[in-house]
Amino acid sequence: MAGAFGFKGCQKIRGPQIRNLLEAKDFFLFDCDGVIWHGENAITGAAKVVSSLIRRGKNVVFVTNNCTRPRENYVHKFYRLGFTDVMLEQIFSSSYCSALYLRDVVKVPGQVFVIGCDGLRRELQEAGIPCVEEADDPDATIYDCALAPDVKAVLVGHDDKMTFLKLAKASCYLKDPECLFLATDNDPWHPLSGGRILPGSGSLTAALEVASGRKATVIGKPSRFMFECISSQFRGVDPAQCLMVGDRLETDMLFGSNCGLDTMLTLTGVSQIEEAQEYRNSDQTTNHSLVPDYVVDTIADFLPAFEDGI
Amino acid sequence: MSASKCTRLSGALVKQLLESVDSILFDCDGVIWRGDQAIPGAPQVINLLKEKGKKVFFVTNNSTKSRKMYADKMTTLGFDVKEDEVFGTAYCCAVYLKTVCKLEGKVYLIGSDAMRQELEAVEIQQTGVGPDHICGKQIDWANVPLDPEVKAVVVGFDEHFSYMKMNRAMQYLSQRDCLFVGTNRDTRLPLEGGKAVPGTGCLLRAIETAAQREAQTVGKPNHFMFDCVASQFGVKSDRCLMVGDRLDTDILLGSNCGLKTLLTLTGVSTVADAEAHQKSGCAERQGMVPDYYVESIADLLPALQG
Repeated sequence: MAGAFGFKGCQKIRGPQIRNLLEAKDFFLFDCDGVIWHGENAITGAAKVVSSLIRRGKNVVFVTNNCTRPRENYVHKFYRLGFTDVMLEQIFSSSYCSALYLRDVVKVPGQVFVIGCDGLRRELQEAGIPCVEEADDPDATIYDCALAPDVKAVLVGHDDKMTFLKLAKASCYLKDPECLFLATDNDPWHPLSGGRILPGSGSLTAALEVASGRKATVIGKPSRFMFECISSQFRGVDPAQCLMVGDRLETDMLFGSNCGLDTMLTLTGVSQIEEAQEYRNSDQTTNHSLVPDYVVDTIADFLPAFEDGI
Repeated sequence: MSASKCTRLSGALVKQLLESVDSILFDCDGVIWRGDQAIPGAPQVINLLKEKGKKVFFVTNNSTKSRKMYADKMTTLGFDVKEDEVFGTAYCCAVYLKTVCKLEGKVYLIGSDAMRQELEAVEIQQTGVGPDHICGKQIDWANVPLDPEVKAVVVGFDEHFSYMKMNRAMQYLSQRDCLFVGTNRDTRLPLEGGKAVPGTGCLLRAIETAAQREAQTVGKPNHFMFDCVASQFGVKSDRCLMVGDRLDTDILLGSNCGLKTLLTLTGVSTVADAEAHQKSGCAERQGMVPDYYVESIADLLPALQG
């Protein structure tokens, strides 16, 4: 279907083109921040888009690199913002998928040292993954801090309580080549409403990569793993049936590309269409994977396509 | 530069090398001391070199001490050294900001008290040093108040490094005219007592990633530290030897500045590392191959005592 519209064409589509796309696809993956909401405000029309897709029998899942909350909190947030049909099973966060990775893929044989928020720890605990307790004495220093035994993985995510001591401990654990090095995501910064930004997990991961001389295995977009989680939960998902809708070229579009999905950039978030065009015109062919197939101003552009009872 | 490289320095070669130079630059960690213990024989080497009329300087990327603190440590360990012979990155960073950047305005400092002292000594005010814990909510952090007098973000080693500090630095750096300077990129910092912890390079990379900007660094292998020494003491590069334990900082600095280079094996790098660079065939890596190597700088003693 992508060929019909121009592969990686980065073309804005509307009306009948969107209707054809919605007919052709079975499975819709939406990023959250900047796509369906900004902070505590839903994007106008987004709730209606989601419920219309679900009513038409489409599968809708939400794929977010945000690792600060457990999925239950997301269910509440969806409800609060007027998305009334969204259930826990449709939500895939990088923290949830990190827990699945540790439990099911690597079957981690010991404790996990976590640099991250309570939301991340809760997902791990719910999956039965033992985490090293945050027992630091406020006076503990790098000269005399205790290291836990049997740490078999270090997991880095967004951590606003990050300290040098945690970085130092993590790099000690990572000296053991048998200790895994995982990151929830690589986003260098996160957007907040009003054009403000905050440092992201990617900045902490980069620090630890330099400290340890090792590269982290990234769970979140653009890595394929979250799609594999989705696929196994829905008992097999055909990439050709999917559309990935996101606002960030370096995470969402690249993720879609890596998984063989068609991609759509919505302009209500981080990336501008000019950036997409630059990647398209780039000499470096690897940059072409960041170019979306389709572009919309907002996902509310789907709404006219639902009229006429299709 | 000698045609053959990575030669073991011994016998007559030692005297030959020493006679071919008037100035010798020494790295500190892993060269003259490890933590708080002098490398055996090192104080005698330094003191004898000075007695024989050589100019001796110390060039270290470690930003946790001021020149005065280094001089005090050296005196305690038996090295006969004056404050102005020590060039640490805390000092050199302050000099860089004053003389090269001609900074007018304050610095947002992620670094040690030593850095604060060196900045004050050149009359540059800073804000930010010390602990900085998170409080409030995400939107508060994104809207953290910025001091309008801050015109540069400066990063050195900081044991109080935290998310909040990284956030403040990132917010300042979103202003295009705010300078971004780091002391060095070393990945490990040696501590007293022999342990090592993540170095300034890690903190710098975290901030560079968040801010999506690259810092200018002052420390080895950047030639600035040699320029500082040379301009203050009239050192000639063709009559100068750099002695260090790290190929990617000390030796590379030496190569970049046209100095003779001597690797000592009491620290980080090995002969195998050096030979790997040499055999790589990669032009960029040749700068990390030392002219000579010794097991320890104590190997220079026979030539100095004889």
